[in-house]
Amino acid sequence: MENHFSTYLPNRNEMMGKGLLSLLIASFLFSSLLANEPFRVFKTPSGKSFEGKVVGYEGQTFILTNKSNQLFQVPFNALSNADKAYLVEGVKANRIPKGRPSPTSTAVTTGAKGVDFHSEIMPILQQRCNDCHKAPYEENGRTKKPKAGLRFDSYEWLMKGNDGGAIIEAGDTDASILFEVITLPPDDDMIMPPKGDPLTADQIDLFRRWILEGATEKPSGKVAPETVAETSPTKESKDESEMDDTIRKAPPKKKQTFRPGSFFAHVVVPLGVSPDEALAKIQGSKPKPGEAIDFDRHVLPILEERCNSCHHAPFDRSGRLVNPKASLRFDSFAEVMKGNLDGPVIVPNDLEKSRLYSVLNLPEDNDLFMPPKGGPMNQEQKDVIKRWIEEGAQPSKNTVSATKGGIPAPDEPVSFTNHILPLLEKRCLNCHGEPYVKNGRTIKPTAGLQLDTYEMVMKGNLDGTIVSSGDPTVSTLYQVVILPDDDPELMPPKGDPLTEDERTMIKRWILEGAGEQPAAEAADPNAVPKPKEKKELASGTVDAKLSVLDVLAKRVSVPSKTQIQAAQKTYALVTQLSERNPLLRAEFSSFAGEIDDTAIGALGGIKNNISHLDFSRTRMTDVAMRAAGGMQHLTWLSARNTLVTDNGLKSLSPLKFISYLNLSGTKITDRGLKDLYPMKTLKEIYLWGSEVSENGVKDLRSALPDAKILF
Amino acid sequence: MMTNFQNVDEYGRREFIAHAAKACLGVGLMPMAGSYIHDSVKALTPGARPAAARHVIYLNMTGAMSHLDTFAPQIDNPKLMHDVKAIPTSADGVVLSENLPLTAQHMHNASVIKTMVSSQGAHQQASYLMHTSYLQRGTIVHPTFGSWVAKLSGQINRTIPMNVKIGGGGGGAGFLEAKYGALPIGRPGEGLANSKMASYLDDTMFQNRIAAAEKLNVNFTAEYPQKQVRAYSDLYRDAIKLMKSEDLNAFDINKEPESMKELYGTTNFGQGCLLARRLIEHKVRYVEVTRGGWDTHDDNFNRVAANCVDIDKALSGLLLDLEMRGLLKETLVVLTSEFGRTPVPNGRDGRDHWPYCFSAFLAGGGIKGGVMYGDVDETGRSPIAGKPIKPEDLNATIAYALGLPLKDVQYSPSGRPFTIAHNGEPLFDVLA
Repeated sequence: MENHFSTYLPNRNEMMGKGLLSLLIASFLFSSLLANEPFRVFKTPSGKSFEGKVVGYEGQTFILTNKSNQLFQVPFNALSNADKAYLVEGVKANRIPKGRPSPTSTAVTTGAKGVDFHSEIMPILQQRCNDCHKAPYEENGRTKKPKAGLRFDSYEWLMKGNDGGAIIEAGDTDASILFEVITLPPDDDMIMPPKGDPLTADQIDLFRRWILEGATEKPSGKVAPETVAETSPTKESKDESEMDDTIRKAPPKKKQTFRPGSFFAHVVVPLGVSPDEALAKIQGSKPKPGEAIDFDRHVLPILEERCNSCHHAPFDRSGRLVNPKASLRFDSFAEVMKGNLDGPVIVPNDLEKSRLYSVLNLPEDNDLFMPPKGGPMNQEQKDVIKRWIEEGAQPSKNTVSATKGGIPAPDEPVSFTNHILPLLEKRCLNCHGEPYVKNGRTIKPTAGLQLDTYEMVMKGNLDGTIVSSGDPTVSTLYQVVILPDDDPELMPPKGDPLTEDERTMIKRWILEGAGEQPAAEAADPNAVPKPKEKKELASGTVDAKLSVLDVLAKRVSVPSKTQIQAAQKTYALVTQLSERNPLLRAEFSSFAGEIDDTAIGALGGIKNNISHLDFSRTRMTDVAMRAAGGMQHLTWLSARNTLVTDNGLKSLSPLKFISYLNLSGTKITDRGLKDLYPMKTLKEIYLWGSEVSENGVKDLRSALPDAKILF
Repeated sequence: MMTNFQNVDEYGRREFIAHAAKACLGVGLMPMAGSYIHDSVKALTPGARPAAARHVIYLNMTGAMSHLDTFAPQIDNPKLMHDVKAIPTSADGVVLSENLPLTAQHMHNASVIKTMVSSQGAHQQASYLMHTSYLQRGTIVHPTFGSWVAKLSGQINRTIPMNVKIGGGGGGAGFLEAKYGALPIGRPGEGLANSKMASYLDDTMFQNRIAAAEKLNVNFTAEYPQKQVRAYSDLYRDAIKLMKSEDLNAFDINKEPESMKELYGTTNFGQGCLLARRLIEHKVRYVEVTRGGWDTHDDNFNRVAANCVDIDKALSGLLLDLEMRGLLKETLVVLTSEFGRTPVPNGRDGRDHWPYCFSAFLAGGGIKGGVMYGDVDETGRSPIAGKPIKPEDLNATIAYALGLPLKDVQYSPSGRPFTIAHNGEPLFDVLA
């Protein structure tokens, strides 16, 4: 029953940390209003009692105060009959005022001039900030510290700030971090409070006035000017977001201007730069009639002035990374050309597809109209951007090597990072990018070829490398981009083929040595390539870099699913060596003891693909060996523990690539080994448990000195 | 309890049928037969690269083997080594401790990573990390490495399981399908339990029961002539086939001649290695053999020497036997431990836990021979040359040799992504 006397807090937060002051004010107010009502003892039917006096009522709830001026609310029905009668009488006689006691704050502010910290600011802090920013406390045995080291539970702590410095700068809302974070747009990462609605316009205005009035603990006596919005008569009709903006913003700082001709108004010219150029860059955006538009000199200044406050390079603010809006950065040529996930914003020679230009020309009330603040760009600025796109959206002539993207001048060595990689990013990475996970499936780069770093470009794929430094004629990377337009192998498969300039650039990069760093000298793309010795690919001997399997893989086609299923009819397991290698491994491992020669016939349809054949432990005989002899690309054969005999070895003579032969546990004798003498490709022969003799093996060893022979 | 709850999800129709068959038909090998109807599609999906090795024998030294007295001895450092000497091996420039004279003759086929490091210094957690590449968490049970291998490489011999663990429990499939988990074999000599026809059931009775079951099914199979329905009757057929199959012999080391048992040593571990070789012959993907007794907090030098007699004989026997049969080429043999032991002996001539530096032995398929990777400073405390190799890097190295896709993502029931070696990097210095 005791919980009927739950503490009533006029404005829950006011009571919590504020202490005596508000209580005194409250008691002063109430006692003056309700002088008539005496203290008396209230009782509940269960016998609990409470001494206090009534200060108001609301419906069936009565508000009581005790002698130490704490307020309680009590349901009418919880009281004893005598108390009920007393209250009814009091209400009838108008001794008990209707309604809850009104909050104290208004009374205070009307008294003193300026915003009062304790009655106006502190309640907001308590309500909206103290969940996170309060004194350290224990929870579950762990000390919880205030977030960001900021405590807002007293004036001193608030003014102290944290390790990063003060968060309130008296008289300057712009420099007060606290004010900044409560006035951020609601979708900003840094907006405070992070949970719930942002502070209301009134609350923000209180903070603004308090800071401007000096951020003092007691009312300062000064009164900060009202903001325009509050005095504006059209406030109601205004668009809500606009209204918020005007309220949130502190009065704008005056931009520093210098009188023309004053020392400070002169252009700062960096050493080594022609003063004319520097001046042009700063005065910027006005190209002379007939002059080609230069990105750095004409376009960039416009972007800097009108776009970069939102479309800037990511920067760090109070420990958080602030990213550009819509992931668009307009701070350099490369970034402008990069666009965002929706695609490029500049399409050279195409004004309609160039979103950067089209958003400038939208009607001003369109959501996508840019710039959203500060009015539309003037016609002159739009014209510059328009002309720049129409002229091909080229980078500045003199700064190509410093920026990414574009084509290097003919006498400038090609840089991988600045020229090749941006091209790859633009035209190749859609398919040849890093593997990623989509809907729970890993999407791998097409053809196992990843082109997103220098290392990956040089690595190539399982078919081999795609760049042969110094020789574009054998560099697949170059060859596939210069194929005729109608060739199905032409890369990129979608969109236009690479331009002549881009092709030449790739060719030059390869000629210059295909290094990660630009070469010392530019190469002449039209020079006649030096004739190169071609290596003859004899059967069995291969380039040291490529394994036999890689070479053989190119000679066979990828087997179809039907073929593989047909081959598996007789309990064989047939698997491709790897994703990119169409050679097959065929093995009879399941129910091996019941498998005989009839099973091997099923492999006939794929015999040219088989590089590994394992029929160990089966009941296969020389018939199977004959079938194996017909598998021209066989490199690996295990007939361990089978019924094969010397006669079967004769059938292996057509095999030109075989390197591993396991005959352990068979009836092979010295006689049969003689048939292996001419098979020079054999590297490993296992004869343990067979019927060969030491002499037979000795002879085999002298015939095949490089092979490892175990018996 | 955790495992049981997770298995509830896994208890699909296939398992249900398998268990039902076990209950009704007396077919004892059903858990394995359940995995018989494997999705051959998975086995058909080739790896990213041609596999250099196709099988793994993982020799797990539990209790933390002293790396100094085995594979990474310090030369002329009596303060750390007491009187344990280093001996030359069959590979130039590679030395082992004198406790491993037989293994030393195989070092031309093997590599030793001297710079293994672990973040865990307690047995259970460290062992968990070694086996799963992930730190132990209360919220999930990660699949063991053998289960990953089974899942990603598929079954070669469809009649026996892909993943076997000899001596000691564990090896569970975590959140992967239960069939990829290890089949535990307690004592190698006893083979596989419950795989024979029940003794009270003679052949006629058994045939009668099968016939009765088929009779009951006639109408159903006629009504639903679907692939899945046929697959279930195939299951019965194959399970029966398996009970009489010679592949069951793979689990029976008594089929080996005495000379072979001698080669491996007649200890539990030696016979476990022999059984592992038999299983590899029958194309089991992954076999782990466990050997305990390495927690040498006191009397380290005598106890390690005694243990080494056992593992030296078994390991060298295994390598020799695999080599002779032509199986070493495609079998990767790993011997390692959850962490190492302190370089400086303690007051009781023992060595305590040391996760900051230990060693792993790799041999066979896909492994470069005669490589001693990395080096340790003269105090024996930490690596000074070579990258520190974390458990996930070791597992990535093995997975790479097996041609498995290191970036293949498998999702736990809660939708979190996991990969076989937790972003570990293969150590190419030891890969052929």
